[in-house]
Amino acid sequence: MKQEEVLPIEETIGATAIAPPLPPRRSISVFRKRVRKFKTLKRGYYSFLIVAVSYAFSFILPILINNEALLLRYNGQYYFPISTFYPASEFGMDAIGEPNYRELKEQLAARNSGDWVLMPMHPYSATESLLDLPGTPPHAPSNEHPLGTDDRGRDVLARLAYGFNVSLTFAIIVLLLAESVGVFVGALLGYFGGKLDMLGQRFIEIWSSLPFLYTIIIISSIVVPIYIPGRNLVLQPSFWLLIVILAVFEWVGITYYVRGEFYREKARDYVGAAIAMGQSDTKIMFKHILPNSLTPVISFAPFTIVANIGALVALDFLGFGLPAPTPSWGELIGQGMENLTKWWLVFFPLAALFLTLLLIVFIGEAVREAFDPKEYSRLR
Amino acid sequence: MTGYFLRRLLLIIPTFIGITLIVFLVMHFVPGGPIERQIMRYKMAAMTEGGATGGTAGLGTEIPPEALEELKRFYGFDKPVHIRYITWLWNVMRLDLGTSYVYQDPVWDVIKSRFPISIFIGLTGFLLSYLVCVPLGVLKAVHHGSKFDFLSSFIVFLGYSIPGWALGTALLVLFGGGSFWDVFPLGGFRPTNWEFLGFFQKISAQIQHMFLPVLCYMIGSFATLTILMKNSLMENLGQDYVRTAFAKGLDEHRVIFKHALRNSLIPIATGLGHVFSLILAGSFLIEKVFNIDGMGYLGYTSILQRDYPVALGILVISSLLMLIGNILSDVIYVMVDPRIRFR
Repeated sequence: MKQEEVLPIEETIGATAIAPPLPPRRSISVFRKRVRKFKTLKRGYYSFLIVAVSYAFSFILPILINNEALLLRYNGQYYFPISTFYPASEFGMDAIGEPNYRELKEQLAARNSGDWVLMPMHPYSATESLLDLPGTPPHAPSNEHPLGTDDRGRDVLARLAYGFNVSLTFAIIVLLLAESVGVFVGALLGYFGGKLDMLGQRFIEIWSSLPFLYTIIIISSIVVPIYIPGRNLVLQPSFWLLIVILAVFEWVGITYYVRGEFYREKARDYVGAAIAMGQSDTKIMFKHILPNSLTPVISFAPFTIVANIGALVALDFLGFGLPAPTPSWGELIGQGMENLTKWWLVFFPLAALFLTLLLIVFIGEAVREAFDPKEYSRLR
Repeated sequence: MTGYFLRRLLLIIPTFIGITLIVFLVMHFVPGGPIERQIMRYKMAAMTEGGATGGTAGLGTEIPPEALEELKRFYGFDKPVHIRYITWLWNVMRLDLGTSYVYQDPVWDVIKSRFPISIFIGLTGFLLSYLVCVPLGVLKAVHHGSKFDFLSSFIVFLGYSIPGWALGTALLVLFGGGSFWDVFPLGGFRPTNWEFLGFFQKISAQIQHMFLPVLCYMIGSFATLTILMKNSLMENLGQDYVRTAFAKGLDEHRVIFKHALRNSLIPIATGLGHVFSLILAGSFLIEKVFNIDGMGYLGYTSILQRDYPVALGILVISSLLMLIGNILSDVIYVMVDPRIRFR
């Protein structure tokens, strides 16, 4: 692996003790250069922009796709149902709990008293079962529900949109957790070497040979919640438990590469200089070597996210993923497998999954090219 | 070199023990094991009985302690976990994998009955993917930057971005006769009337049943294998010896196929070490989608049904195959590339 290192030689030589110190003219860091290179790779860069913007938008989904009104005027007073809970009786509706704001909108419009309801663009929530639709769910795509509804009468568009946020958030948290552990362990093994390295290698070999999905299914098929004695804590399959389980199996992957990088970097002169200056091991490892060994960590990250989303969708498909009402793509595909004639339950989540993964793969390809360039010279 | 491989072979033992020990412990400590399942079944039975007689004997029914002891002894849970593990390991060394809780047959027989199915799909998928990916990778490398390269890269990206099993669900909806075309059966390894079919009918029925699953198997390795082949050949084409070959006036065809291709097959060849575990283990997700009773699906259902002897049996076979495959890969590496020395 070659690494282009441009040292600002002219500056160090030119700056003598007598001359007034030159204004610091910083050379462009290697990282900066790589980012610049990444931006020139259009396909990856635009994919990155699309994913980043959609992910940012997915956090304001409650004001785009929701069954709660954003703003409403009732008897001359203004209400904000999106942030506050109002009982249905507040608006003269005889229902228990949250009012149906879509219905309220029609009522107020019919009354023609100057009251109105401002609903989000797509006024359905991801967890609301629409029981008033004609026929039995799942309902085929229609004008009201462009992607249809699932087998509990929930709007598929809403579930897909919220599912995007859930999937990506899940994948990113698993990535961060797994990579920080993996980098730490890899750094220890590579830096200290010797017996520790040998033992660690054995352990990693065992750990990476474990059948990943099997073991996860064993663990997350806990139907019975575990009651921890003496405390009110209950451990049952949840978003965070699933994240931890996945991270526990994933951290090994990056360890190999970080260990290798540390082995290589350890022999470099700047590490020798740092040791000679009496720097502590932790400082050498994390301040000097680590920034130079992050290439594999960064260039693998997009592909790890792809793998995480894939694993989550597979687990949800099998029914061992996130707990029940969480909007998820895999669960929809699973429903589609049970109702093979309801094609919209398979095609739309698959399209969402596929598009997301494709964009992230494009990003990954560009990141790899920017961070780990391999030039192929051809003779013709 | 022999010493190195002997050491590697010996290292299989601690790794194997480590893997099985971890899974064994997980199975032991995760609730909902076979005993709890039996208790649940007992309670359910008591409940329906109570309902029939009009009584309220239901969830409150306790299993008599003697029966519980009996249950524990039956499943071997009356001994501490380390003793159970050692007994199990000792039996495995004597090639006895135990008896399945669900099928009441020896585990080996249960697993063995799935071999033909797994080998059939695995081998077909494996051969086909090499037959497609290696030539495709070579073509892409030779025509690097061309329109063909660009278009096939697009297909490669598509293949990489969709998990095989997920593609399978879409294919089933499209071609399984639900709301679109009725081209392929909904799943299964063979039609139910297999025995009554003639030779050619058998062939066409088998192809019809296996077309979609094998396609999904191939998608998994399609992208990585093609790109590996392409990059490896590209790297070799940039080497000095290729420059020399061109310089001494050899024609392009000869340089690429005689000099560069041989060397660039090295990374592909080393993958062959894993052929056995690939063929046998299969993908339980694809097998589940297409309802095929292979090894992978057996492992999956055995976990769901808490049939631990079968689940552990599959673990033994697949992990041994994988560990041996690792060493085999290195042996192949040394065989095809004399520059490599392991110490």
